[in-house]
Amino acid sequence: MTGYLYEKDLRQMKYNILTSTKHDEAVRAIARRLGTSDAKLRMVLIRQFDMSLLENLESRWEMGQQHADNDNDPVAEELGCELFTRFVPLVDARVMQTICDETRAMIGNESSRDEAIARGKARVREAVLS
Amino acid sequence: MSILQDIKNAVRSRSIHVAYVDVGSCNGCDIEVLACLAPRYDIEQYGIYVHNNPREADILLVIGSVTPQWVDKLRDIWEKIPEPKVAVAIGNCPISGCVYARRGTLTTPPVENYIPIAAQVPGCPPRPTEILNAILSVAPLIYKDYEEKQR
Amino acid sequence: MKKTVDVSIPLGPVHPCWKEPVRLKCETAGERVLRTEVELGYMKKGIERIMRGRPWQEVMFLAERVCGICSVIHNMVFIEAMEEISAIAVPPRAAYLRVVVNELDRMASHILANFSYCYTIEHETLAMYLLNTRETVLDNLERITGSRINTAYMIPGGVRFDLLPEDAAAMLADLREVEDKMRRYTGIFETGPLIALRSKGIGVMSREEAIRAHTVGPTARASGVEDSDLRLRHPTYRELGFTQVTRTEGDNFARIMVRFQEVFQSIDLIRKCIETLPEGPIRGGGLCRAGEVSYGGEAPRGELTYSIKTDEYGRVVDIAIRTPSIMNIEACAHSMIRDVTSIADVTSTFISSDPCIACNER
Repeated sequence: MTGYLYEKDLRQMKYNILTSTKHDEAVRAIARRLGTSDAKLRMVLIRQFDMSLLENLESRWEMGQQHADNDNDPVAEELGCELFTRFVPLVDARVMQTICDETRAMIGNESSRDEAIARGKARVREAVLS
Repeated sequence: MSILQDIKNAVRSRSIHVAYVDVGSCNGCDIEVLACLAPRYDIEQYGIYVHNNPREADILLVIGSVTPQWVDKLRDIWEKIPEPKVAVAIGNCPISGCVYARRGTLTTPPVENYIPIAAQVPGCPPRPTEILNAILSVAPLIYKDYEEKQR
Repeated sequence: MKKTVDVSIPLGPVHPCWKEPVRLKCETAGERVLRTEVELGYMKKGIERIMRGRPWQEVMFLAERVCGICSVIHNMVFIEAMEEISAIAVPPRAAYLRVVVNELDRMASHILANFSYCYTIEHETLAMYLLNTRETVLDNLERITGSRINTAYMIPGGVRFDLLPEDAAAMLADLREVEDKMRRYTGIFETGPLIALRSKGIGVMSREEAIRAHTVGPTARASGVEDSDLRLRHPTYRELGFTQVTRTEGDNFARIMVRFQEVFQSIDLIRKCIETLPEGPIRGGGLCRAGEVSYGGEAPRGELTYSIKTDEYGRVVDIAIRTPSIMNIEACAHSMIRDVTSIADVTSTFISSDPCIACNER
């Protein structure tokens, strides 16, 4: 049995957390960065994150913009490799690494850089929303 | 008046187990309850033992106005306390909601809507001595001749 | 969150070690904790929603009821943010008195945090010693402000009550006593072999993790994050020559020791304030105006930020409070508790980060 005793539906409370002024701004910024709608991202956040992580979303996002270094790799930078795995843990680290490597390989092969980055971003979005 | 009841009265007057539950306050009252533990007030000289286990408690101190998570759980906690039991409201929050009872709040005071309250200690927060005094005055009223009264 | 194993141990919301209700759900393999999930909502009062559209005279009292333990700093940051918006100057005597009250509150809070840690690792003797010392500190707080917990001491342009010379003398005498006692207790904590077994090397958080989660206050300082004290930027503290305490271990022991050291620092600051207390008025004048500001101050638990927007009558149109516990609890649950070897260490590690749920949820 994996269910907890005294469990309550937390969705409304999580939504309350996400809709306070600063958190709403952070959610909108993340949605813009990922290129998805706010409502969809909110749904994912409510499903995946626990309440403490939701409360801390805003400061984690802020720190991610300041400190995510990505080892001076422009591809990882644009896909938000470190940002979405360690600062705002929306994507599994291994999945992110595969996406990153394959995007880099695509750039090395034949297709144009912009196209490869766009496809990489789409895959990150997919990984987040799945 | 049976001898058994006399013994029970004597034992109960010097052994009061207290559990406190915070149902959404600013935790100012929490730390005043904790301050009662300090050797200055020395709550244990009256035989009062503060811990946080409802299953062996005699008195439940309720602190705070009621937040969404507590709406159903407060009743659960109250039912887990063995008889005879009594609930004391500490601070303004369980009585009226204090500063939180405004438009837009998430709390739903008063606590009386959820569990029966025997005594109230107003104050924001009340002093530790007042809390101590309330516990000491309400306990004998409830526990004295409890079994006799039940009959 | 997604589940990885079957064995889940919930702790709380009513738990003997916790002063406030919170629920930790630990997923364990044997006794080793793999991951922890925090369930909140037990203290969500929606105070930011209540504050909106109210005049500052009301919000001032609401602000200190965000958290009872560190009520002075909530009051101070809100008032200083209002002063920043409306360009109100504070008389030097009032600025010094603010530091005195704030440091007394910090001492009370730190001693309480160390009390709960000692209580959690079942060193009840030291815990009771500390709790009794805290009463002396609260007496002094009451001597200045007239109240133990929610003081409402500061107002825009100054403070409410002056510090009389005889009160100052009594306070210095009390502080000497507190310092002597705290030296002894720090020695007990530092050298106790059983305390070391329960504290050293447990709940370690590296510097990188601390930065990633934006931890603040003693929790960050124990992990060796430099420049993590906003008092370094506060003008009055700069005048007093404040320096930051930093340790590098990042375990439970370091976090408690940072708090002990900061208590001594606070005592020194109060002494310096009282010795060099300037003469003059304690209340200036001013009018609260429209504006928008994000202002931070150092609470006992770390950086506290108020983002306020007011209209021309001094009413608060929009407000967002970022309290230190938000970051610290998150970092604690997801970094420190992740690899502790026993369930018994979960509670002590959680308490060592000085969690304040009322702050966290507002």
